[in-house]
Amino acid sequence: MPNEKELYGLLSDAVVGMDEDGAASLSRRAVDEGVDAYEAIDQGLADGMERAGALFEEEEYFIPELLMCSDAMYAGLDVLRPHIKADVGADRRKVVIGVVEGDTHDIGKNLVKIMLESSGFDIVDLGRDVPPARFVEEAISQKADVIGLSTLMTTTMAGMRRVIELLEEAGARDRVKVMVGGGPVSKSFADKIGADGYSKNAAEAVRLARELTGTAGPEARAAAF
Amino acid sequence: MKDQMTPLERIAAYNKGDSVDRLPCVPIVGNTAARVTGVKVSELRGDGAAIARAHVAAYRLFGYDNIRIFTDLYTLAEAMGARARQPEDETAYLEAPAISDEGGISSLSPADPRRDGHLPEFLKAMDMAMDAVGKEVPVTGALTGPFTNASFLIGAEKLSRLVLKNPEAVHALCELSLQSALAYAEAIIGTGAAPSLTDPMSSGTVISRRQFETFSFPYLKRLIDYIHGRGKSVTLHICGKTDKIWDLMADAGADCLSIDNEASLEDAKLAVGGRVRLMGNVRPSEVMLLGGAEEVREATLACIRAAGDSPKGLIVASGCSLPTETPFANIHKMLDTAREAGGGRVA
Repeated sequence: MPNEKELYGLLSDAVVGMDEDGAASLSRRAVDEGVDAYEAIDQGLADGMERAGALFEEEEYFIPELLMCSDAMYAGLDVLRPHIKADVGADRRKVVIGVVEGDTHDIGKNLVKIMLESSGFDIVDLGRDVPPARFVEEAISQKADVIGLSTLMTTTMAGMRRVIELLEEAGARDRVKVMVGGGPVSKSFADKIGADGYSKNAAEAVRLARELTGTAGPEARAAAF
Repeated sequence: MKDQMTPLERIAAYNKGDSVDRLPCVPIVGNTAARVTGVKVSELRGDGAAIARAHVAAYRLFGYDNIRIFTDLYTLAEAMGARARQPEDETAYLEAPAISDEGGISSLSPADPRRDGHLPEFLKAMDMAMDAVGKEVPVTGALTGPFTNASFLIGAEKLSRLVLKNPEAVHALCELSLQSALAYAEAIIGTGAAPSLTDPMSSGTVISRRQFETFSFPYLKRLIDYIHGRGKSVTLHICGKTDKIWDLMADAGADCLSIDNEASLEDAKLAVGGRVRLMGNVRPSEVMLLGGAEEVREATLACIRAAGDSPKGLIVASGCSLPTETPFANIHKMLDTAREAGGGRVA
């Protein structure tokens, strides 16, 4: 179909342009025209979200813009997701994510979730104000590859270290990677508490998660959505 | 080593350009004060006398240069209908905003600080701290900036979207927040204390310079103008990256910019050090909470090296509020390092 590439570009642009209605109607057009839903998501919506993430890193976009882009992406996903062929999605890498106990600022965590989800990770979102033990229980029972910890408050950072201690006590430290982020967190803090990685923003979190799970490169997200 | 001056004597001399025994030093002690009096964090919130006891005791123990009556950022929004949750022994947090969408704005009204939420208890704490040590140390009351308070009224993500979708609603929430802040500032000044402004949502990590100009600046400026009109100077703390808005923070009238550890004190000195005093910026978590004495000393000296010669002066400080469990030894070490460095610049 000659139009596919153009449609992917339009979907991507609708996401970058924060055009929720546009993303939804273009997605309906993709379904109507019989375009492969997975490709429309991957090369259209997810591509747009990746571009939005890049603009965020370049400080062209800020949190308001990134949230609006994600609204457009999800508006398109809602239309396209039911049309994905059933066999894809079997072997996704799983990330348990949440805001550590004592903090309910979840913008950062939600942005990381959005970016990871649009990059093909399976996300278990524990929400905000999550006790350290809960991260570990969920990671083990859900067989997660990664725990992603976020906080915006310096007052709650001890909880991050606790998660790693609990993972060790449970004998699961070698199976689960731990990545941390959030305003007051830094690379050296991450090193100090023994985390596997730190990312300074949501776009970087995607690269880090890929690195930690050995799924670098877009070809590795073939199982996405 | 012992201090030769009281904090008020030191600040007065420093402001005049006279010699001081050491640079002013403020490890920003929040709920760590509860550890000093051996109470649970939850015993502070809502009990002005307990807050005053803890902060006066912490000041006496460490000898820093500013008492800040503070338990968390949500007290003003709580007085306007937001719900804060106080865990037994951790810092309180926002459980639910006051309203769930723009339709609720008309139901909101400015807080009455003498009646609403826990504000009367915070005012009582300021009163008591002023009575106890107000003749030797500045006492301040934490006041949340209007844009940040607006985010607690409707939720941070909702507010972020409204910035683009419905700017008028954001202005309405900021205006309501400003009216509450003005009333609280008036009451704080009435106790003899001074408001100390914190506005984390206005961070350059969250919104753009243009969005700051539109939604943060006008309200901060009106608030600071009022406080100046009452004869008090203003410290403004904004978390995260702020390098793109330092000039605007100074334009808004702040006398002292409290610089987060995510930003460079040296860059701040070069950019606005000739206009405003700087404060900062030892890392609260990895250095103050987790570091050893030598790390605290190094980081404190690094701040003094970076901006000890800033034209309008430097307050050696942590980059943000200290985590509750920060070891006392590290807080002592920050002060001791400032004493060791003395009044001048370290070479």
